[in-house]
Amino acid sequence: MARVPVIRIGDVLVATAHEGLRDADALALQSDLHQALERTGARGVLIDVSGVETVDSFLGRMLSEIAAGARLLGAHTVVAGMQPPVAITLVELGLELKGIHTTLTPEKGMALLHRLIAGDDRPQPIEQLTPAGASRARRIA
Amino acid sequence: MSREHSHQDQNRLDAAALVEEQRRTIRELQTPVIQVWEGILALPIVGTLDTARTQEMNESLLQKIVDTGSEYVIIDITAGPVVDTAVAKHLLETVAAARLLGAEVVIVGLSSRTAMTLVHLGVDLSGVVTRTTLAKGLAWAFARMGLEVVPRADGPVRGIAPGAVSGAPASAGQSAPSAGAI
Repeated sequence: MARVPVIRIGDVLVATAHEGLRDADALALQSDLHQALERTGARGVLIDVSGVETVDSFLGRMLSEIAAGARLLGAHTVVAGMQPPVAITLVELGLELKGIHTTLTPEKGMALLHRLIAGDDRPQPIEQLTPAGASRARRIA
Repeated sequence: MSREHSHQDQNRLDAAALVEEQRRTIRELQTPVIQVWEGILALPIVGTLDTARTQEMNESLLQKIVDTGSEYVIIDITAGPVVDTAVAKHLLETVAAARLLGAEVVIVGLSSRTAMTLVHLGVDLSGVVTRTTLAKGLAWAFARMGLEVVPRADGPVRGIAPGAVSGAPASAGQSAPSAGAI
């Protein structure tokens, strides 16, 4: 299989991981994303994994590392569209992807990224920025 | 003679099929996932929580999250097992798996005894939202969704009108969508 293309939509970089992603491709994706973040100054990364049906510890760790690197480069990472068996496997492997935002669909992921980016631009930091409803938290509180 | 044999075999097969069917029914009854509101699922845990059941529970919960597009999950352990380290570990696995699908989880139905046990055992539930009752868990989910449950202006006056006990919660529930449309 080929390299994963990274496309830029506004302030967000989008990558769609596919089934049968080789370790080399995952590594390439990591460096591509981080280089693109450095070059474009994008504020968010959306990784669509809805096409991924099997996952191993390497790919799980890759996702964590991409997110950790993106955070250092000033961007939020959302992993979208994970399939139930993949989620179960990751939990069994002890890779709970803590610190990564997750959504059910890429569409919801995009909306969440926009909220997170908007949250960064507010004058006061929002307490406990959680995966869902960062902009709502203030209204309720 | 041979006909008698095949008859017995058939009976045995029927019995095996029946047992299998009943086993399946029990399994399904054990792990019900209920959609209590658009976007909110409830998972009442009844009975024991071992590794096999946790797996089944995870599978049915995650599938339901995908099917309904839910973002909030209420795990109710009111009728559940005594929570010890192993059970807590299983609960945390469920929470982590649901989170990977983008859902937020609240565990409700913790008794003071459970809370004390968990503290004594040193189980770390700091990353998990917990509430005492299912109602409070639902209120938490509503708040996170930006919904508000308010009494209707034309609803029965609480505690005075006949049937107010059954009427009030129903009307309050119906008014929630319009009130929540922010």
